[in-house]
Amino acid sequence: METLFQLIAILAVVIGTAFSVLGVLGFIRMPDVYTRLHATGKVSVFGVVLLLLATVALTPLDFGKGLVLIVLLVIGGPVTSHAIGSAAHRIGIPMKRAARDDLAALEREQ
Amino acid sequence: MSQLLSIILDIALAIHIALIAVCVWRVARGETVIDRLIGADLVGILMLAVLVLIALILVNSTYIDVALGLAALGFVGTIALAKYIADQQMF
Repeated sequence: METLFQLIAILAVVIGTAFSVLGVLGFIRMPDVYTRLHATGKVSVFGVVLLLLATVALTPLDFGKGLVLIVLLVIGGPVTSHAIGSAAHRIGIPMKRAARDDLAALEREQ
Repeated sequence: MSQLLSIILDIALAIHIALIAVCVWRVARGETVIDRLIGADLVGILMLAVLVLIALILVNSTYIDVALGLAALGFVGTIALAKYIADQQMF
């Protein structure tokens, strides 16, 4: 049973680290603000949550605190990304090679 | 298995610290103000991952408490800065 939990923890740490590396790679390489924001959302929701799942599987001492932190991250990550994206659109940062911009059409109507 | 786990945890800690350095470089270079805001938010999240990894390595539950405080404060700070940039005023 101990070996099974350690195996789960190893898998979770490896996959979470891979998600973090891919998110930061996207943050460096993507062309404009909105696609960069899309890449960095993965670090919060998948990278850190998988590390916390490893904590919950491995140590019996902080079961509840890990679950509370997972709930906080899963609720807070998308809210943060939405706030930053809304602010970027409000101050008029352009999109590169965007096919259409529905929010700008909606703002012109009002 | 236990030895493999400790080696993997050390490697993951080193990778996350290197990612924090990359993000700080990107914030310093930054093209727009939104890029810098995204980078600062990402540094906070990666710092949280480092705290969780230190808690796993040292088998010490205190670092999870520190991570909880950092998550709550970083969330509020990023929301407040985004509103400040969008409206040019805080309240």
